[in-house]
Amino acid sequence: MNNAVAQGHSMQSADANPVEPAPPPDYSEDGVDLSLIRWTLSLTPAERLEFLNDRIADIFTIRALNAPE
Amino acid sequence: MPQNRLLALLRRLEESKSEFIVVGGLAAVLRGAPVHTYDLDIVYARNPQNIDRLLEVLASLGAIFRIQPERRLKPTASHLSGSGHLNLLTKDGPLDLLATIGQNLQFEDLLARSSQMDIGGGTHVTVLSLDALIEIKEQLAGDKDMAVLPILRQTLSESKKQRNREES
Repeated sequence: MNNAVAQGHSMQSADANPVEPAPPPDYSEDGVDLSLIRWTLSLTPAERLEFLNDRIADIFTIRALNAPE
Repeated sequence: MPQNRLLALLRRLEESKSEFIVVGGLAAVLRGAPVHTYDLDIVYARNPQNIDRLLEVLASLGAIFRIQPERRLKPTASHLSGSGHLNLLTKDGPLDLLATIGQNLQFEDLLARSSQMDIGGGTHVTVLSLDALIEIKEQLAGDKDMAVLPILRQTLSESKKQRNREES
């Protein structure tokens, strides 16, 4: 009885805390940042374009700030 | 908020009813690859009507050849009829007009491997697929192409996984 209870309890615990699948890796074997890819894939094409445009604008701003006089 | 010049350039081309396919780095970006690019590469149809449409929109964009910009050389019908790459500068940034890419692939060859994408503001443009882009870069095998290939391959792989999850 005790065993059965113990087993039942044990099984209940296992059900309550199922083993979670390992999270997908952040990097591929050849070093590509998969988390960044997943993020860009979560955007719409329009948002990807807007993000790229904003980054380019930022780069040009920084370059202008650091241009030799 | 900076003006979206890439979108403006694509919109002007699309509004001109020109036949073109977005390829290169911007195609990779639109397909979800986290890469950077400064220019817009397009492969265009080289029929006379399309060349006329392109010349009109290029004139409105103030397009000149990037080489020796001080000479302000404008592209002509003869340039667009040729088989080379035209590296231009417009008021909305660099624009490369490509007659062919990869192993002599023309607009007509690439159309079946491209699809329309919504880029916002009611604009839809034809963009080369990621697998075609990867194939072409593998064939070219230049240093620049090889450097970006791992990112494109992983983007294609993640994109397929995402699609499978959405379908199941």
